[in-house]
Amino acid sequence: MRFLPHTDTDRTAMLEKIGVSAMSDLFADISPEFHIEQGSLNIADALSEAGIVRKFAQAAEKNRNATNTRYFLGGGTYHHFVPAVVDYIVSRGEFLTAYTPYQPEIAQGTLQALFEFQTMIARLTGMDVSNASMYEAATATAEAALMARRITRKNRVVMAGSVNPRYRSVTSNYLSRLEGEYVEVDIGQFGTDLDSVIASIDDKTACVIVQYPDFYGSVYDLAPLRAACDAHKCLMVVAFSDISAFALIESPGAMGADIAVGSGQSLGIPMGFGGPHLGLFTCKQKYLRQMPGRVCGLTNDADGKRGFVLTLSTREQHIRREKATSNICSNQGLMCTAAATYMALMGDAGLATVARHSAAALQSLVSRLPSHISAATGPHYNETVLSFADSETRNRFLAAARDKDMFAGIPLEQIDTNAEARHLLVATTEMVEADDINDYLAILEVVK
Amino acid sequence: MSHNDTTFKYSGTVGMQHEEPLLFEHAHEAPESISLPGVDGVISAELSAFSRKQAANIPGLSEPETVRHFVRMSQWNHGIETGFYPLGSCTMKYNPRVNEQVVRLPGLAHIHPDQPEETAQGVLELMYELQGWLGDISGLPHVTLQPAAGAHGELVGLMMIRAALDARGQQHRRKVLVPDSAHGTNPASAALCGMHTVELKSGADGRIDLDELKAHLDDDTAALMMTNPNTAGAFESDIKEICQLVHDAGGLVYGDGANLNALVGIARPGDMGIDCLHINVHKTFSTPHGGGGPGGGPVVVNDLLAPYLPVPRIEKHGDRFTLAYNCDTSVGPVLGTPGQIGVYVRANAYISAFGRQHLHKIAEDAVLNANYILHRLKDRYHVPFEGLCKHECLLTDEIQNKHGVKTLDIAKRLIDLGFHPMTVYFPLIVHGAMLIEPTETESRETLDAFCDAMLEIADACEAGDTEALHEAPLKPFRRRLDETQAARKPVLVWPE
Repeated sequence: MRFLPHTDTDRTAMLEKIGVSAMSDLFADISPEFHIEQGSLNIADALSEAGIVRKFAQAAEKNRNATNTRYFLGGGTYHHFVPAVVDYIVSRGEFLTAYTPYQPEIAQGTLQALFEFQTMIARLTGMDVSNASMYEAATATAEAALMARRITRKNRVVMAGSVNPRYRSVTSNYLSRLEGEYVEVDIGQFGTDLDSVIASIDDKTACVIVQYPDFYGSVYDLAPLRAACDAHKCLMVVAFSDISAFALIESPGAMGADIAVGSGQSLGIPMGFGGPHLGLFTCKQKYLRQMPGRVCGLTNDADGKRGFVLTLSTREQHIRREKATSNICSNQGLMCTAAATYMALMGDAGLATVARHSAAALQSLVSRLPSHISAATGPHYNETVLSFADSETRNRFLAAARDKDMFAGIPLEQIDTNAEARHLLVATTEMVEADDINDYLAILEVVK
Repeated sequence: MSHNDTTFKYSGTVGMQHEEPLLFEHAHEAPESISLPGVDGVISAELSAFSRKQAANIPGLSEPETVRHFVRMSQWNHGIETGFYPLGSCTMKYNPRVNEQVVRLPGLAHIHPDQPEETAQGVLELMYELQGWLGDISGLPHVTLQPAAGAHGELVGLMMIRAALDARGQQHRRKVLVPDSAHGTNPASAALCGMHTVELKSGADGRIDLDELKAHLDDDTAALMMTNPNTAGAFESDIKEICQLVHDAGGLVYGDGANLNALVGIARPGDMGIDCLHINVHKTFSTPHGGGGPGGGPVVVNDLLAPYLPVPRIEKHGDRFTLAYNCDTSVGPVLGTPGQIGVYVRANAYISAFGRQHLHKIAEDAVLNANYILHRLKDRYHVPFEGLCKHECLLTDEIQNKHGVKTLDIAKRLIDLGFHPMTVYFPLIVHGAMLIEPTETESRETLDAFCDAMLEIADACEAGDTEALHEAPLKPFRRRLDETQAARKPVLVWPE
């Protein structure tokens, strides 16, 4: 077997050295009734390397993908451009095959990348500090709610109905086994009027969670919510799906967020059918010690040279056990290195171009819609909801688009189970070209 | 800032050691940015009203500078591709390169979780196949791929156990028994699941003490969380009795699968009475650790817990694979996406390479290697628990303590001798623990070199030649880092 260096001669010699006569002696402490027959598992026959390549190529062949199909899909996962350099850097064995940097003297590469990542994420979100990642956006949102409960010592969580339904359901699920109250506030179809959210805040409220831009792509002002949070001493948690927005529009930090969480998948990480993605977690400096997950900090070595270490570990499970701020251990480390590489390569100017093109593509599409299709009103970044006369028309359009190698959107009810089946969630990125929009509109014209 | 200003005086590579400034210290104007596709159209006035006022100040380097920056930093890292990584309970094995190749196929990398299901049958088929294999390997046939890492799997497993007990009308069962040798994630996960933990003192042999267990089992007990082999590297030989006792008391048994590498293809946790187990695919099935993640923590369960598996579930109906979201008995969604799919593609490839014919050789060689190290070191290092080990062996610094040398010194000295240290100060049940896990992918030559280094350290202690041990590491471009300073006044971002 090609991954095993020993020859049978090695094995025999080693067994002899250990003082046993057969491999099975090493498993004598496992009762014979539990030993299974070798080769008896219901697993496929071993494949050669060539066989593995063939198997996975055949599986991949069955999936339509973004090299042969135009993607207008969002809902938390976006088809942004991934530069070759990003994948090259995270393919390097020194980053790819390293463990968590608990031995900092021989892990400064990972640690400096994490420090740069934390700095750039804090800057892009306008927040004071960032941790070194969560799994993805939905669990990060749930962790934000838990953190707000710890900080405020209150246990009521208010969630706006315009937050991605998947972030909502995971958060509600996490909170359901703990004492406290979870309230979801309906703010009307594709609405951004936060009055009902504000009205539901009381003095027992630990935090209010909103999404910005919201699940339906709307961009709106958070100032009234900030004021209401101040009045009730509760925290404002801002979730986001596509961080590329903040190179164009005002950041969660500038909007007054206490905690901002979301997805960093847009920063050089392929869609990958949903993972591995990158969960982001940022907050104000003063809440740092209640933050979940690993963080990397600056320090000096014994010679006074600058270096980096994982720090504030007294918050974490391996030290605090059941009193830890979270149970998280493995995070999305390599994705942080990917995001850091991506941001370094882009800089302010590149990130701004990505954001501008993403927004301009949507603008171009929405401004030319035929009259039988309506789009949600108000400012949107790169995602919106198109409404058709009925589900049948919408589905005919989706099928026609697919015939032209285009995924034209996500049926809204696929994510938002309460939505009518005539809506379509549509997202654009810099990967959408002018011709793609023309084609999209042309197909819409035909399907009435 | 608290750093030595001369550190970055020159930027070359001297004797293959080099400094590399932070991105933010590359003090030149950002060059023309990368060329990007897309529509360079207008932004609506209503969106422009929300324009960002202050630039984010993301530095931006040219492509050659970006590559050099990160490649230079990479060279400060130890990785499994650069050397031996004997971290106990972490299973740092070789990560096959072909797995990296296949996961990057466009049909697996550039696909969206919400694209029409019939256009994603290939990836769903791979996931469904992996579920079946994990179920068969563990003897627990019902599988969820939702958990993103081991700790997440613990939470999900406990949610299911809680749901099963609630369904029996036993909402009062909220106590989780956890041996004092357990991973810290176990009690943290229980707390997150609205349960509380009671610690079981390990017996004199480092294993679960049946009397201690009996004394704590009662009508409030929801579960025992156990790791088998345990974190001392020993198989819990009383596993059958342990599970029986917990079941008789009305509780369920959760298995922490961190140490599955010792059993894969040899014996199955489900056959032993474990009800629910998470599998760390980034350990047992060789998906790369990536400097801390991504991991993958599928949970496998028996028939009793099957109704409670989270959604979405990957199911097969006729010839069609599907993501099923609707199930009344489910503990609900625990992640916002279908899971760490790219990680599972690699895990599938790893199992495919061994196949039914060779899978047991993973555990055989892993256990052989650990026992070989134990045998070579046992006369010079204190072995707290006698007997065979499984895939990892536990030593302590008791002998070296007499010479004023601690586990930390030994660990740091190993760095100077060319090795990544073992897991140190874990498990907590022995003083000065050194937990060594070689995995199956290390050669005898490497194991001997490591043992020689450990013996050299033992020799140095006995000769009283301990200065290098206290000073270590001397060779890397950074020496021991001041963790106290880092935590006292945390600097987590570079100031603008």
